[in-house]
Amino acid sequence: MAVPSSQQVLQVLAHIQDPDLGRDVVSLGMIKELEVSPLGKVSFTFELTTPACPVRDRFKTQAQDLVGEIPGVTGVDVRMTANVRPAFMRPKPSEILPGVKQTIAVASGKGGVGKSTVAVNLAAALRKSGAEVGLLDADIYGPSVPAMTGSRVVPEQVNGRLRPIEAHGLKLMSFGHIYPGEQPTIYRGPMVGKAIEAMMVQVDWGSLDYLVIDLPPGTGDASLTLAQAVPLTGVAIVCTPQDVATDIAVKALQMFRKLNVTPLGLIENMSWYVCPSCGNRHEIFSHGGAESAAKRLGVPFLGAVPLEEGIREDADSGVPVVISRPDSAGAKAFEHIASQVAARTSIQSFRQLPVINVH
Amino acid sequence: MEITWEDGHKVSYSGEQLRWACPCAECRGEAGAPGRLARVTALNPEELRIHDVTLVGQYALQIAFESGHATGIYTFPYLRAMKPSGGELLR
Repeated sequence: MAVPSSQQVLQVLAHIQDPDLGRDVVSLGMIKELEVSPLGKVSFTFELTTPACPVRDRFKTQAQDLVGEIPGVTGVDVRMTANVRPAFMRPKPSEILPGVKQTIAVASGKGGVGKSTVAVNLAAALRKSGAEVGLLDADIYGPSVPAMTGSRVVPEQVNGRLRPIEAHGLKLMSFGHIYPGEQPTIYRGPMVGKAIEAMMVQVDWGSLDYLVIDLPPGTGDASLTLAQAVPLTGVAIVCTPQDVATDIAVKALQMFRKLNVTPLGLIENMSWYVCPSCGNRHEIFSHGGAESAAKRLGVPFLGAVPLEEGIREDADSGVPVVISRPDSAGAKAFEHIASQVAARTSIQSFRQLPVINVH
Repeated sequence: MEITWEDGHKVSYSGEQLRWACPCAECRGEAGAPGRLARVTALNPEELRIHDVTLVGQYALQIAFESGHATGIYTFPYLRAMKPSGGELLR
C-alpha cells in the first residue's frame, strides 16, 4: 500500500481546532518535524503554546486517531512539547526582563484576600506543568513570598546584579529577601516604584516562560509602575466572595483596563469551608460573588479556592499546597486556575504590541 | 510622528503639535493652577523637535523632545482624538 504524503497528514491534522485560539493547529504552526517513513510510520512534534495546556491529552489522542486512520499509516508517534511564545515585542528589550516570555500580575485591590497565597500556588502549579517560572513579590511594605516559600535567604550579588532565590523549582525575588527580619521598609510612593523597577532590571531573571508578579493591594504606585514598565501579558484579580471584597476587586480590574492590561479573569478565594467535625460545607464569606462580578464585567471566571486549614498551614511552613498536598481540594483548585491562566496568556501571546520606529 | 492604527487609519503628527498638546501636569497645570503652556506664547525650536518615543506599558506613548522635556504620557485614545497635523490644537 502506498505511503501517505506529509501533505495528507497535515490535511487531517488541520481538523484539530484549538478551542482557545479558534483556529486549526496546523495553521497555528503547532505541528513540527513531521516525517513519514518509507514503511508508513508517521512521527511529528505537537508544539503547544503552554505546557499547562488544558486540552493537551485530547490533542494527542485526536492526532493519533486522525493520522492512524489514513490508509497506509502503520504507526503514529506524537511528541508533545510546549514552547511558550514571547508575549510582545518589548519597547526596550535590552533593559527590562529580556528573557521573560509572559508576565502575569496577580492583584486584588483589597488587602487580605489571599493574593500572595494565590500567586505562590499559581507559580508552583505552572512550574509543576513543566514551565520555567519566576515569582516577583512587588509588595514592598508587606512582602510575604519569603515566608510562604520557606526561602528566608539573602540574595547573592554577582557583577552588581542580584541572583534570584531558588526554592521549589521557582526563581524568587522579594523585598523580604533583600531586607530580612523585622526591619520595615519605610518608603514614600515614588520609592516603591523605583524598588519594583529595580527588582525587574537588577535581578538576573534569566529566561523564564512565566514571571508571576504578586502585587500589593491598592490601585496606586505599585500597580501603575508595573503597568507602565512592562507590557504585561495580563492580570489575574483575586477576591473573596463578599461584596466588600468584590467591589474593590472591580476597581482594581477597571484600573488595569484603563491601562490596557488584559484582565485574565477573576479568582474567588476562601470560597467555602468544609467543617472537619461535621463535614458540612459552610460559605463563610458568601459564595459566587467573584463569578457574578466576572459575568457582569465580561471577564472570565478562573476558579474558586476553598478556605482550608492546609493551605494556611503550608503557607506558614513555607511549602505551597500544590506541592505539599497535591490531592487536596485546594491544590486541585489552584492547578485548575493555573491551567486557565496559562490558556488565557497563550491567547494573549498572539496579540501584537505597537511597533515603534525612531528615525 | 506617524501612527498607523489597527484599523488601518494613518495619522501624521508634527513635533510642534505634540509639544503643545503635552498632557503632563507641568504643561497642563494641576489643581486649578494653569500650566506652562497656558503661560507662554512661543516655544524654542528644540522644544518642538521630537528626540525619542517609547511605549508606556501598552496604553500610551512617552515622547521625549530635544529640549529634554519628556514627562508627557500620551494615551492612545488621546492621540487618536487629536486632529491631524497643522491645526493649532489645544492652544
